[in-house]
Amino acid sequence: MDLLEYQAKEWFREMGIPVLPSQRIDRPSDLKGLKIPYPVVLKSQVRTGGRGRAGGVKFVENTIDAIAAAQTIFHLPILGEFPEVLLAEAKYDAEREFYLAVVLDAAVRRPVLLGSPQGGVDVESSPELLQQVVVEQEFSPFYARRLTLKMGLTGTLIQSVSDIIEKMYQLFVQKDLDLVEINPLGVSSLDEVMALDGKVTVNDRAIARHPDIAVMAEKKANRANSQYPTAMLGSWEEVEPSGNIGILGNGAGLVMATLDLVTDAGSKPATCLNVGHGRNLNTSPLAFCDRLALGLEFLYQSKNIKVVLVNIVGSVPTALEIASVITNFIQRHEDRPPASKTRSHPYPGLIVRLADLELEAAREQLKTVQVPLVENLDEAVEQTVRLAKVNAAKR
Amino acid sequence: MKLTPESKVLIQGLYELSSSTHAVRMKAYGTNVVAGINPGHGGQTLGDIPVFDLVEQALAEVGPVDTTIIFVPPYQALDAALEAIAAGIKQIIIISAGMPPLDMVHLLRIAEATETLIVGPNSPGIIVPAKILLGTHASEFYTPGEVGIVSRSSTLTYEIALQLTTAGLGQSIGVSIGSDTIIGSSFLQWLQILDEDETTQAIVLIGEPGGNSEEAAARYIAEAIDKPVIAYITGRQAPAGKHWGHTGNLAAVVGRGANVGTAQSKLAAFKEAKVAIAQRPSEIPELVKKALKKG
Repeated sequence: MDLLEYQAKEWFREMGIPVLPSQRIDRPSDLKGLKIPYPVVLKSQVRTGGRGRAGGVKFVENTIDAIAAAQTIFHLPILGEFPEVLLAEAKYDAEREFYLAVVLDAAVRRPVLLGSPQGGVDVESSPELLQQVVVEQEFSPFYARRLTLKMGLTGTLIQSVSDIIEKMYQLFVQKDLDLVEINPLGVSSLDEVMALDGKVTVNDRAIARHPDIAVMAEKKANRANSQYPTAMLGSWEEVEPSGNIGILGNGAGLVMATLDLVTDAGSKPATCLNVGHGRNLNTSPLAFCDRLALGLEFLYQSKNIKVVLVNIVGSVPTALEIASVITNFIQRHEDRPPASKTRSHPYPGLIVRLADLELEAAREQLKTVQVPLVENLDEAVEQTVRLAKVNAAKR
Repeated sequence: MKLTPESKVLIQGLYELSSSTHAVRMKAYGTNVVAGINPGHGGQTLGDIPVFDLVEQALAEVGPVDTTIIFVPPYQALDAALEAIAAGIKQIIIISAGMPPLDMVHLLRIAEATETLIVGPNSPGIIVPAKILLGTHASEFYTPGEVGIVSRSSTLTYEIALQLTTAGLGQSIGVSIGSDTIIGSSFLQWLQILDEDETTQAIVLIGEPGGNSEEAAARYIAEAIDKPVIAYITGRQAPAGKHWGHTGNLAAVVGRGANVGTAQSKLAAFKEAKVAIAQRPSEIPELVKKALKKG
């Protein structure tokens, strides 16, 4: 989960990382009660990058200008995202700008400290200046000092920048982060340092063990379009909005393999759903069969999906138990007016591929609702693609 | 790695979700499950598996064990592994899914210092067909033979085992290293183990988007592996960044190029290493047969 700048800076302040006096602005009229002296900078609070170039950051000298600028920013989407709030912050004269980050590196399986003496928007244009230090063992401040020297810092900056890196690392561990980044870290003519912008990404799996972050995540989920039962189901992804096939499987690798096969066969999957195991964000994980039932329901509600391919391999429930879930699902929907005139296939069409030692009972069960059970994966993909073409032609 | 049928095996989190089902299946497969751990249930038995409150209590009773298999909820997995290390267990398989990556960083620092092998997390473990089942592999799809499978997936691994079995090709081992960002044992370690293993004549490597372990494996195969390797990479058609719950690609990639982590990057690496690449699971058996004929 990505935090907004003002949330990241609240954490920075708690950790003792220097940040400018600032105030959260929920609506333009809040600026009448601004406690920071002008000039101030107003910043759009969005998670996407490039807000400066897009016009989401404005300097203002007085209340009238500030309210007008705030109105503009509130109505300015940045890469499609409208800000919920703005941040009003004191202006800072930085002589130089550094880049600092702590990030988890999968290849070395350790947190890595990153730093560049050329921060701000320049950091991406000069990757050769980006230095890194792997935190091999338990953190100790020498790792931070090592980074500052690699960055070419001298004198008092070695200690002051190291202190900030140490606090970033503490925050990284305390809050289970994937990333904490300060860009830029402003350096004044007197070599004082200030975190001017910050980015924090919390590891999604760790959210549930931090009550304060769990509250933030819940608020964010409530604001977001929450019609999808993702937390209950595991994970789903929309692949291609114009596609007409839904894929439901157990296990991410298997779902991806099925997606590859269907796409290679010339069809377009719309949505893929992995019901393999529930997320640990959810304290009461649903049983496999419940996730399967919910998953079928979810794909059924998607109007553009003409065929659902169910591919389940080696699950704990038996093939017969899975067949029963599918049969129940179809029978529940048979009360509704059929969308297609022929009854040979329920709508949307279902192709079920199961791998298990004993399939005959499951096959018999599925026969009662005219759903074919296919044993071979390539064959199941072929049937799915064929049925999708037939169903698409019917429309 | 000790993988013989007489290896003594412990199960931590015996009553979690489906773990008792898996414990019974392991036992039925011939795995020597000597004890289970579940705090608060000490003194009970599951089938004929005695249950203890603490790992050290179990070891006092049944003697040293070779491998422990961890099924506890994800936030307790670090503690369970540390308890096993403290008791001197050298092989740990973590089945639990959803461990926070910083817990793994913590665990790996200690595991490396104590030379403890960690497999997983979020892994179905290891199977040596007809010999030992250490984890949750669907054993019915495997049959003993000469093909070693090393993978990051669970059900996709069973799918490949099934395709091989159907084509008359048995397997020497099936191992999944797990698909999380931070995992214990690597492709490299297992390639080395399988290269030295006398039963294994060909290796099937199953990769997926995220991280750079397939790229590293490809380079290693070109340099150090003598046995034929067949690679299959899933997720070629998956949109970038969509991984259905596998989190291998969440970590930053610094100085390794923007393309790292994609299926395309992995396929390019295997191509460069002149490793045979299967386009689909059903192509794997014929490629294995071809490779075995050559050798």
